[in-house]
Amino acid sequence: MNLRMSAGPHFVARESTQTLMLDVIIALIPTAAAGVYLFGIRAAWVLAVAVISAVLAEFIWQKLAKKPVRVGDLSAVVTGLILGLNMPSEVPLWLPAIGSFIAIILVKQLFGGIGHNFMNPAMLARGIMLVSWPAQMTIYTLPVRVLGTTSVVPSPDAVSAATALIRPSAYSNYDLLIGNIPGTIGEVCKLAIIIGFLYMLFVGTISWQIPVTFVGSVALLSWLLGSDPLVAVLSGGVLFGAVFMATDYVTNPMLKVGHLIFGIGCGVIVVVIRKFGSYPEGVTFAILIMNTVTPLIDRWTSRRVYGTVKKHA
Amino acid sequence: MEFTLVNFLLFMVNCVLSNNFIFSRYLGCCPFLGVSGKVETAAGMGVAVTFVMGLASLMTYIVYHYVLVPLNLQYLDTISFILVIAALVQFVEMFLKKSVPALYSALGIYLPLITTNCAVLGVTLLNISDQYNMFWSVLNGVFGALGFLLAIVLMAGARERLESSNIPESFKGFPISLVIAGLMSVAFLGFTGLVN
Amino acid sequence: MRKKQTMRGVFINGVLNENPTFRLVLGVCPTLAATTTATNGLGMGAAATFVLLGSNIVISLLRNFIPDKVRIPAYVVVISTFVTVVQMLIQAFVPALYESLGIFIPLIVVNCIILARAEAFAGKNSVLLSAADGLGMGAGFTLALILIGMVREIIGNGSVFGIDILGSSFQPMLIAIMAPGGFILFGLILGIVNSIVSKAGKRSAGKGA
Repeated sequence: MNLRMSAGPHFVARESTQTLMLDVIIALIPTAAAGVYLFGIRAAWVLAVAVISAVLAEFIWQKLAKKPVRVGDLSAVVTGLILGLNMPSEVPLWLPAIGSFIAIILVKQLFGGIGHNFMNPAMLARGIMLVSWPAQMTIYTLPVRVLGTTSVVPSPDAVSAATALIRPSAYSNYDLLIGNIPGTIGEVCKLAIIIGFLYMLFVGTISWQIPVTFVGSVALLSWLLGSDPLVAVLSGGVLFGAVFMATDYVTNPMLKVGHLIFGIGCGVIVVVIRKFGSYPEGVTFAILIMNTVTPLIDRWTSRRVYGTVKKHA
Repeated sequence: MEFTLVNFLLFMVNCVLSNNFIFSRYLGCCPFLGVSGKVETAAGMGVAVTFVMGLASLMTYIVYHYVLVPLNLQYLDTISFILVIAALVQFVEMFLKKSVPALYSALGIYLPLITTNCAVLGVTLLNISDQYNMFWSVLNGVFGALGFLLAIVLMAGARERLESSNIPESFKGFPISLVIAGLMSVAFLGFTGLVN
Repeated sequence: MRKKQTMRGVFINGVLNENPTFRLVLGVCPTLAATTTATNGLGMGAAATFVLLGSNIVISLLRNFIPDKVRIPAYVVVISTFVTVVQMLIQAFVPALYESLGIFIPLIVVNCIILARAEAFAGKNSVLLSAADGLGMGAGFTLALILIGMVREIIGNGSVFGIDILGSSFQPMLIAIMAPGGFILFGLILGIVNSIVSKAGKRSAGKGA
């Protein structure tokens, strides 16, 4: 009898994974569309390369490892899409390609495939890219088109610009919300992210605990440290990270109480890195750090639920 | 470095997070890879190492500054430090055997191997090259070991979780553990620059 | 009947079958620390070989005189003496290497390879065989370090032994020469070596048996 063993959460049929992934993709459409509108056709190319590379990487691995090819479950598509959305639109196209390969092969397939990665593939790939090619990964440019009435002047040529994190007073709250700011393709349009969040909540893909505690702790801690909480939440990748990356159920805790710890931890680390660390944005590392702590969170939280008898020394 | 609460906290953050002995400095890898199969054993090893590193920092500091330097024998630091550490570990072994036999048998051969743990000798040598006084030397040892403890426990958590995963045969064991360590140290890069 | 060991056999064993880095997975810390460039790998390997050779010979010479109870501390004294010597030699003749390897030179004392070979081989075998073992293990270690060092240097710096080979249009992947890159690349290389060895093993098992 062929028993399939894996740690929770468990995926039983390809179809259920596919539906789950499809919902995530649908939730990502407003964000992707906004990003392409704001940053132009270049953004579309980045996304396309990222997605195609991810699918290709998974296909090649599964063929070489003589495993059933499961790219139809769309998880590679999601990873590629999220990775692409996490890059500035002016990255050289080999960057998302390499990133996708790293995400799929190193972080996901090497560990046993879907459900077995213990850290978020897109986040980890992004972290590796950021450290390996810091210059290329931070070429932030102003959008080539703007949404609505704003004082931001779009730049049809790619002109390097400081993100809202570095110069928060340069952009109005409206600009921060709608995305008329420099940043990665997916993080800028908060409105689109919120729409995606509400969709996923509605269809039950995610639960509210992590995004809400994540964003809430960022707001609270920033406010306590003297910054405008709304600006803190609307700048950088907090919303995008909280909604699409911290909610990856494979790499976050299993129980709801664990989710609260996870969300708060992410929020706290983001603010600490922003205020005191070398990197201007801490979302990537915050999520990765909480990923590494997740197995321990599960151990501590599950003990109470299952009522394990305390071992005698 | 003068002692203030801020300096103390920053020093702790630096030793445990920003310059973690395993994830940033490569010190202590052998037991890190060898004893990280189960969280409880890993925690026990981490605690034992903390004890040894703190005491070793203290004793080697005394040996260096009160024996070697007056006699102008600084180049004998490597030899004398490792002997101090070897003796210390023997003592800890005997102590654990009597007082905490469960931990003694759980750690098994890895207990005497603390002698060859690069983190122990490493921190004692770093104390000298970074010119810490006795107080910061001991703290360096203790906090550095706490960083080691954190790393080994995180690793054990991850490895326990991956026990039922379908890792390619040739990667099981050391290769995948090394990759895990690498991925975790990417995460820890986020702590860079927290202490300037 | 125990197969008689030859010097040549022992040497090759250290380089291949029981390669300390790829098969025994000993001495992980210096492997990670000294492979940021191929040159560093070579330097660390040479230093470790010197110590291995010296300590194996001396310990083998003294093996009938060292009481069993104090053998580990005795080995440690011998090894650390050689390490102190090599430390001073490097500081005097190759100061650049002294700078780049830093604390890992004195840490050769606790390089598990050396103590392991003292315990497992030199303490029980003749001087000539112990010398061969020391050389073999040292050579195996050095080759492994150079290999990993080359990989990390090419990816992270576009060069090999300091010589730029990939040209200016190559964008080096900085993480390769940092700690995370070291862990990941060593793990990947180890896994690939394992898979090559097991495939070769299956092939010869299928043939010979």
